Amino acid sequence: MEQLNSGGKKEKRLLKLGDQLHPITQPVLLENMIEFEKIVWDRGVNSHTDTDAAKKDGLSKPLASGQNQMAFVHELLEKNFGDAWVYGGRISIRYIHPVYAGDKITARGAVTEISDINGKTTLTLMIWCENQDEIKTAAGTAFVGQPEVSCSW
Amino acid sequence: MSNPGQDNSVWESIKVGEDLGSLTYLFTEEMVADYRRVVNNPRAAYPTVAGRHPARLFYRKYASVMRVPNMGQESQYHNPPLPGKSITISAHIADKYIRREKTYLVIEAKATDEDGRLIEVSRLIGLARPVGQPALAEVTKKWSN
Repeated sequence: MEQLNSGGKKEKRLLKLGDQLHPITQPVLLENMIEFEKIVWDRGVNSHTDTDAAKKDGLSKPLASGQNQMAFVHELLEKNFGDAWVYGGRISIRYIHPVYAGDKITARGAVTEISDINGKTTLTLMIWCENQDEIKTAAGTAFVGQPEVSCSW
Repeated sequence: MSNPGQDNSVWESIKVGEDLGSLTYLFTEEMVADYRRVVNNPRAAYPTVAGRHPARLFYRKYASVMRVPNMGQESQYHNPPLPGKSITISAHIADKYIRREKTYLVIEAKATDEDGRLIEVSRLIGLARPVGQPALAEVTKKWSN
């Protein structure tokens, strides 16, 4: 997370207990769900891409994969923490409500704990995704250092 | 106690610690671009999120008999993957348990690149069910709104 100082330069902003992350919102589109499935590992038609396959699994329609939500959580953490997330971030998350094409997902987070061990600060974050009806679709905990201005990747 | 309507013979035969082997693939600029496009994030750092490393190695061995839909994930990120480098993933069964009559498998995969850089360690928490059996009734009902 960064802000501009009076000289117009980026500077590091330290997060405090209770601080909220800047949320990110992304639409979920069927064409992107289908493409997502093809990336790196094309495993064919399944309940994430095809209505008939979803119905065989007892679902009414295709649902976005958990990894698809994970991508949104990554965007949240990359944009709020820069290199501090990319080099050393940890997360534990559960997918608790289905996400369908047409949903709009917002990823959010808040600082719940700050620990300092041997001079190294670790923030504990409550992380969640919610849909357009404010229903939580994923929830978990992340661990990361204070935000870095640098985004070296 | 597990779901009485489900055949758990495969789940029962899987041992914690079971080696799922390894796999090496070339990580390309095209994969990065595709991922960034479909997640609408032009600077996404970890396109391997789409790679589903634990599931990929699990299904290489068990695709014909078992499904493990992803109920959750635990991951550590060490270094973003670099296009043009090969990535080797190795995986094993990290845990198995029954909760609320549902059978779960925890599959852990470690990814390193050709230079030995540790990319990530990810655990998939999968709701284990035999192929051909739909998702457990209560989950289906809950998710089929």
